[in-house]
Amino acid sequence: MRSVLTGLRAWLVQRVTALYLLAFIIYFIAHFLFASPSDYDTWRSYAAQGDVKLLVLAGFVALLLHAWVGLRDVMLDYVKPISARAVALPLVAGALIAIGLWMLVTIAPLR
Amino acid sequence: MKISIFRYDPERDSEGRMQDYEIEPEPHEAMLLDLILRLKGEDDTLTLRRSCREGVCGSDAININGRNGLACITPIRALGERAVLRPLPGFPVIRDLVVDMTQFFKQYVSIKPYVVDPGPMPDKERRQSPQARERLDGLYECILCACCTSMCPSYWWNPDKFVGPAGLLQAYRFLADSRDRDTKARLDDLDDVYRLFRCRTIMNCTEVCPKALAPSRAIERIRLMLAERAL
Repeated sequence: MRSVLTGLRAWLVQRVTALYLLAFIIYFIAHFLFASPSDYDTWRSYAAQGDVKLLVLAGFVALLLHAWVGLRDVMLDYVKPISARAVALPLVAGALIAIGLWMLVTIAPLR
Repeated sequence: MKISIFRYDPERDSEGRMQDYEIEPEPHEAMLLDLILRLKGEDDTLTLRRSCREGVCGSDAININGRNGLACITPIRALGERAVLRPLPGFPVIRDLVVDMTQFFKQYVSIKPYVVDPGPMPDKERRQSPQARERLDGLYECILCACCTSMCPSYWWNPDKFVGPAGLLQAYRFLADSRDRDTKARLDDLDDVYRLFRCRTIMNCTEVCPKALAPSRAIERIRLMLAERAL
């Protein structure tokens, strides 16, 4: 059986998400340098804008995919016994999904 | 100068040890292999592989001061006062500096290191333009000494699943060959999580290749071929 995220696809996903994250980080650093929000309310209303929300959510999707490919690569190298893998892989996947869900319920309802 | 050599005799030793030798290079001795062979003349239990003694056969690949290389083309002058010689890292040791290369050659054979063309046999040779032939430069020169593969951490972790730099350089050598008709099957074979993509672009392979080849570039080209095919 071939998993969905393997071989070339996993490699491409990791590179494309890396590029997105790079742009994402530069954008936010620039935003805080040149248009730093003065207080929490400004920051909150900025973050609640539709396009900013989309950027952040996409950023987290990219981060989680990137982390999954990277961590799985490390585990395939170092975690040899199948039994240990059977624990480690779902554990990491579960943790990443939990982070994703937490992000979703935090950011999506922002008004 | 002082030469420290890894010694292991499976019939006598339970594990390997380092043995120190004091030896002064004679004027006619230019390469490290000359010194090792003189030591072997004095102590014939010292075991190593060597054949052509001029960097063509790839038999005498060993780890020299932490870096893989061919003893026969490593100048004594470049070593300084002390040389530590070990068998190729990551390979099972048979005896002293001799390693078991079975897995290495298994990976090499797995990439089908020959031109595949199911069409009818040509009357004479399979012709190739000079331009198409040029694309094989930097690929065909590999002597399979295993210096690169044995320096590759990805290969250390998964020698049975990751083809390794030497095998992948050869995989690309046949992907790049205008006479080969097996491109699709070759690429399919490499497109999984282990065979090609265990490469983490560490580039030790290119760094140590005694023939100055670039397995990491060949690996990059295979990735691009896969990407071009998919996009």
